[in-house]
Formats: sequence, C-alpha cells, structure tokens
Amino acid sequence: MSRLPVTASIAIGAAVTALVGLATAGCDGGQIAANVPQSSGQSFVGHSYQSTFYQVGQRPAVPAVSGTTVTGKPLSLDSYRGKTVVLNFWGSWCDPCRSEAPALGTLARQLQPEGVRFVGIDIRDERAAALAFMQNFNVSYPSLNDPNDQIALEFHSTVPPAAIPTTLIVDSSGRIAARIFGASTYSQLKDLVAKVAGLKS
Amino acid sequence: MTPAPAEEELRAAGAAGDAATSKPGTSINGPRNSRPRTVRLGPVGWVRWFWRQLTSMRTALILLFLLAIASVPGSVLPQEGIDPAAVNQYYQSHPSLAPIFNRLSLFNVFSAPWFAAIYLLLFASLAGCVLPRTIRLVGSARQKPPRAPSNLARLPASASYTTDLAPAAALDSAAGLLGGRRFRLHRGDGWVSAEKGYLREVGNLLFHIALLALLFSVGIGGIFGYKANRLLIVGQGFANTPTDLDVFRPGRLVSPSDLQPFSINLGSFRAKYVTSGPQLDQPITYDAALSYRPQVGGAARHYVLSVNHPLVVDNVSVYLIGHGYAPVFKVTDGTGKVRWDGPVPFIPVQQTTLTSEGVIKVPDAQPYQLGFAGVFVPSAVMGANGQLESAFPGPLNPRVSLVAFKGNLGMNSGQPQSVYSLNLKGLKQLPVAPRPLTAGQSVKLPDGAGSITYLGYKQWVSLAVTYDPGQLPALISGIAALAGLILSFLVRRRRVFVRAMPGTDGGTEVSVGGLARSDAAGGFDTEFAELTRLLRAEHDGRSMRASQVGDGTVDGPADFDDRERGLPTVPAGTPVAAAAVDAEAVTAQAVTGEAAVASNPETLTGREEE
Repeated sequence: MSRLPVTASIAIGAAVTALVGLATAGCDGGQIAANVPQSSGQSFVGHSYQSTFYQVGQRPAVPAVSGTTVTGKPLSLDSYRGKTVVLNFWGSWCDPCRSEAPALGTLARQLQPEGVRFVGIDIRDERAAALAFMQNFNVSYPSLNDPNDQIALEFHSTVPPAAIPTTLIVDSSGRIAARIFGASTYSQLKDLVAKVAGLKS
Repeated sequence: MTPAPAEEELRAAGAAGDAATSKPGTSINGPRNSRPRTVRLGPVGWVRWFWRQLTSMRTALILLFLLAIASVPGSVLPQEGIDPAAVNQYYQSHPSLAPIFNRLSLFNVFSAPWFAAIYLLLFASLAGCVLPRTIRLVGSARQKPPRAPSNLARLPASASYTTDLAPAAALDSAAGLLGGRRFRLHRGDGWVSAEKGYLREVGNLLFHIALLALLFSVGIGGIFGYKANRLLIVGQGFANTPTDLDVFRPGRLVSPSDLQPFSINLGSFRAKYVTSGPQLDQPITYDAALSYRPQVGGAARHYVLSVNHPLVVDNVSVYLIGHGYAPVFKVTDGTGKVRWDGPVPFIPVQQTTLTSEGVIKVPDAQPYQLGFAGVFVPSAVMGANGQLESAFPGPLNPRVSLVAFKGNLGMNSGQPQSVYSLNLKGLKQLPVAPRPLTAGQSVKLPDGAGSITYLGYKQWVSLAVTYDPGQLPALISGIAALAGLILSFLVRRRRVFVRAMPGTDGGTEVSVGGLARSDAAGGFDTEFAELTRLLRAEHDGRSMRASQVGDGTVDGPADFDDRERGLPTVPAGTPVAAAAVDAEAVTAQAVTGEAAVASNPETLTGREEE
C-alpha cells in the first residue's frame, strides 16, 4: 500500500479492504490454505484444484535448477533446453502424488518420441522410500532429490509450487507455460502438454 | 460516544452562562420536557436510532469488553494456527467436546465469524464516533470563546476587585496576561473571554483514533501476514515455501511468492530438565542451534533459538514452540529391499515425560504394504500394569514398542490422510509379540513381510513461523492510545472571563470568573486563584505606571518619587484624558506587558504549558 498516494480516499479504501478481509476471515484464508489439510502435518492437495495456462509473453523463465537425482546422478534442467519439460513436484509420502503417478509414468513413455521430457523433484522425502516409489510405479524419468526444499525455493519468484503435488510445464524456450495444483489426470496433463508443445492431441 | 461528554458539558455550561446573563432565576429546564410524547419512528428514524446506539459510548465499551472476553478461549484452548498438535491432543482427550468446540470455532478464535462480527461492529462504532467528533473539534478550534456572561459572580470560580486603571487598559493588560499564558482570546465591549485546554479533546480523539488504528493494524496483519508451523528433525532443513511448511495459514492477500525466501537448518537441539526435587521433569532450557540463509543462495548465518527468543529473518519471526523425539527405523520388505531408512517424528502424548506416539508407513513395500504404530519412551520403566512408561523426559533409557500391520494403507487413492495416523480399514495386524526395542534391535515380521530395525533416535523441534506486518503499527497505536488517554485525563478545558467597568467611586471594577469542565485531575481552583492574583498585581502595577504616562514621562525609569508625585495629577475621571491614557497605555503594555510576563518567574514554570 505504500506506493499509493496518501489521500483520504486511500484511508477509506484501506478500511474497506480491512473490513472485507475481516468479514471473510471466518473462512480459512486463501487458495493455498484451502489446499492444505488441517491436521495432516504435511501439505499436499487431494485432487486437482486448478490448472493455469500462461500465454506466450507472460511466461516466467524457469530457474536454472540442478542437483543430484534420487539415484545419485547429477542432473541439470539446462540440458533439456529446446524440449518441452514436465516438472513434477512429488513425495512418496504424499497420497495424491501416488494417485497421479501412474498417469505421469504412462504419459512420460508416450510423449518421449514427441520430444517431451519429464523430470521429478522429490520433496521432503527419505531416499529409500523415494526409490521404492519409483520402482513401484515404474517411473522411468529421473527425479532431483530436494530434501531441504531448496529447489522449490528457487521457484520463489516465478511460479512457486504452492502444494504437493504441483506440476509445471516448461516450454522449449525454457519458460513456464502451465501449472497444475494437485493430482493431475491423464487427459488433463496430456491436453496441456500438447497445447504447450504444439502437438496434435 | 456521540455527543462527546466534554463537548456536551461545555455547551451546557455555556447555556447556563447565557441563562445567567438573560434571566437570572429562570430554569432552562422548562416544563416542555415533562409532557410525555409518543413519536413513531419511520425507517429513517430506525436507521438513525440504530446508528446512535451503535456509535454510543456504552455500545463501544460493551463491544470492547466482548472482544476481551471473546479472546479468552484463544488463550485457554489450544489454537490451530499456533499449535495444531495440541488441538489434535484435545480431540483425543475430549472426543465429545472437541467437535462442538470446533463448530464454534473455538480452536480458531481469532478468525471465527463471531469474533469478526464483534470486531467489525467495534470498528464501525468507533469510526462512527470519531469522524463527527473530529469535525466538531476542528470546528470548535476555529471558534472564538463565547462572550463573557454579564454576572461573573455566578460562575463556579469568581473574584472581583477595584483598580485605578481605566476599564479598557485593565482589559488590555488582562488579555495580555491570559494571551501570554496561551489562552485563546475573544474581546468585546467591556469584557475578555479566554479559553484553553483544547488538548483534552485532542487527547480524547487521539485515543479513539489510536484504538481504530489498533484494530486496523490487527486487520492488516490478518490480510497480509501468515502463520505456519514446521516440524524439523535435527540434521534436516526447510525452506520458507508453502510446500515445505506443515501447516500454512496465509492471510487473504498472501500468495506463495510473497513468502520471504529464507531457509533454516537445524544443527543440534539440547533440552535440560530438573533431575530431582518437586520440580522433577520440568524443563530448564531448550536450545536449538540453527544455521539459516536469509536469501536463496545467500551466506549462511548461525543462531541459537530458545523459548521466547525468536529468530527474526526478513521481519518474519521463527519461534521454538515444541520438541520431541524421532526414532530412526530401517524397514526391509519381503523381497529383502530396504524401503525406509530414516527418522520418523513421534508426537508427545504425555508432555511431562515425553512418552510419544507415531506411525511408520511403508506404502512401497513388497509384497505387502507395511504400517507400524509405535510408542517411544525416552526413559523407560516398567509400569505397575506391565506397560511401558517414561519416567523422565530426557533420553536416559530410550525404548520403542511397535505394533505391525500389513495390507492396504489406503494411500494410493489420492485421498489425503494424516502422516501421524494409520487408516486401519485395509490393514491386518501381524501377530508380533510386543517388546520394547533398544537401539539396534530388530523385529522379524511373520508371513515373509520383512523386518524392522530400531536404530536410535533423533530429536525434533517444532517451529512457528509468523509474519505480521501489523505488529509494529499495533504497538505504536497502543502507545498513542495510552498517550491520548493520559492527555484527556490530565488536561482540563477551562474558560476565564474578565469584565471591567467604571466603578462608583471613580475606580474600575474588575470581575473575574472561571469555569472548568471535567476537572478530573483537580486544581482549577488553584489555577484560577493564581491567575486572579497575577491579574490584580498586573493591574495594580500598571495603574501606577499609567499615572506616569499621564504625567508625560513615557520612557523614564519609574522611580518611587516620580510615582508619588504623579499620582494626584492624573485626571482619571475625565473621558478625554482616559482615552489619551488608554492610547498610551496600549503601547506601554505592548512593551512592558511582555516584559512583565517574561520577568515573572511563575509564568515560566511551565506548569500550565501544554
């Protein structure tokens, strides 16, 4: 509010804002809070809440993320430049991640010939559990290990993952073109990827 | 709070003064009020009536009181935003009461609809009171004091004396004296009215506005602030992003990118307890050694976090609010593969001795999913009924006891479930004899389901991350409210009137009247007596100097002889001479009046300075 000029109308506007804010304070805060189960102790979302598509020109650049994968290999997002990349924030402890895993695994295999790559970012996970998850769901694509959420933090000024799972679609020029909060479904994700990559769905 | 009490009283005082001037003895409370009148209120009337009620002092006080009462459950009952674990515990210990409390938002008092209702009504009540009063204050500050009543002896404080000074000169010097004492003046034919103490109303308004600002600040905090909790095991770290916070309660206008991008690693944690005496098991100190980065990729800094000594990063406070144990397990499934190898936070169910419970979920174990429910006791003793109990919160003899399950954990449906509880619906308990494990001991599961090893323990701390941009404004408002309150109690609004008219014996009759309103601190009588004394002294002194003026020695140093000689030669009674004296006296007063005020030490004491 500091950038607004100081006039009486601002004070009134602020008062109205405060009143509106308070009037609705009975609800649970914003979008994010709605995605966070109260007593779960960890934040994840149950089902897909929303997908957002960013028009060309409004797409934030994806941060230069790199690190070690769950299997111990180095990985840098830069090496995928020129390809459409599906970034999936997940955790083996997260129930909706488990429910969306088969769809992601299938799509990763189907879209491989089209030049679409999948990269996971494993959040707050224990390595043995993450490996078990990948083996169990037959996840063929690599996942960066992010136990302290440093990778998620690098998305802070772009499109931060507000919940787990969050799926971002990065276009071939390295810009974030779409986002899905919550478990994505096969058709929803396929359509969005096709839209970003310019494929026929 | 509309009509302001002080205003009203002053107005009443004015009315009384006027009554005194016009018809002494006539009561202003005529009989017209005694006849009962029945008036039908139209819709506008009702709205006006409602608004009057809402903005009345009584309603505001009731609302303020209600607000205080309404926040009591917030400190008596555990709050979701502050300590969700305690809320869970309350659910367990009061299974029938907790859901009712939850429906009444008692676990979330400060965002409850009824709390918001009180708050909003108070806001409206204060705003409805302050606005018209501010307008009135501005109006009254521009207004001159009322004309002096004709009979000053009727005022609560009054005095009269005679002086040799001509009436106009007497009034001039009275105005000079009162003006020098920062009274606001109004002069008329034969009188001077003076008023001061406007700061009283200013203080009163400051109090109300500060109260409004306080409410407003709290609202700002609720809109732009957030609260979050995070359980952090020693050796682990987290970043201030929604995905990495356990419970995240953002304000209405907080988006994930608004979160300050710091990250925190927990290096070590140490708790000290009383080991003997009646205070046994009581904690002495908690210290959590942190390293943190205020920015992405910034330099790491160190901080030792203890209770009530929050870490402040980027205006965000990180409090240490709890701690516990996270036993470390290694789970091998039926195929011989390790499916879990790490600490699992257990939640204290017994705060004094830190007996803790937790679950281990291994959803990717083969051929069966595995689940364990366990109890961790830091200082194990065998209880009377053969149950494992903890005798001390410190880790003197840590043990874990487990119950094992296999089957479907219900995690693949996508329905979120708590990481601290098992959904037993699809699970079958395995026949494993319960025994307290020490570090390194394993349990082999039947049916070729695998095995679990207890490897030791780590400690965890629970952190509360709070960002409240309204905190500082709230503090400032609080101080301002107090200052306003003190001002309005200490300052009294008072009027002093001076009348001067030719007396019967050739001198001038000076009468002084005073009126103080809401003189809560007392002392107006003293002030009035002092003013009268000064006025009189001024008049007496000046009448002698004035006689010199008549003698033609304007600038000469007044020595006693001159005055003695000059006195009888002044033709005080004749109008022409009086006018001449007047004109000279004004200039004389302009020079010497200030000097007189400045040289009088009592006017410089600052007692009346506001």
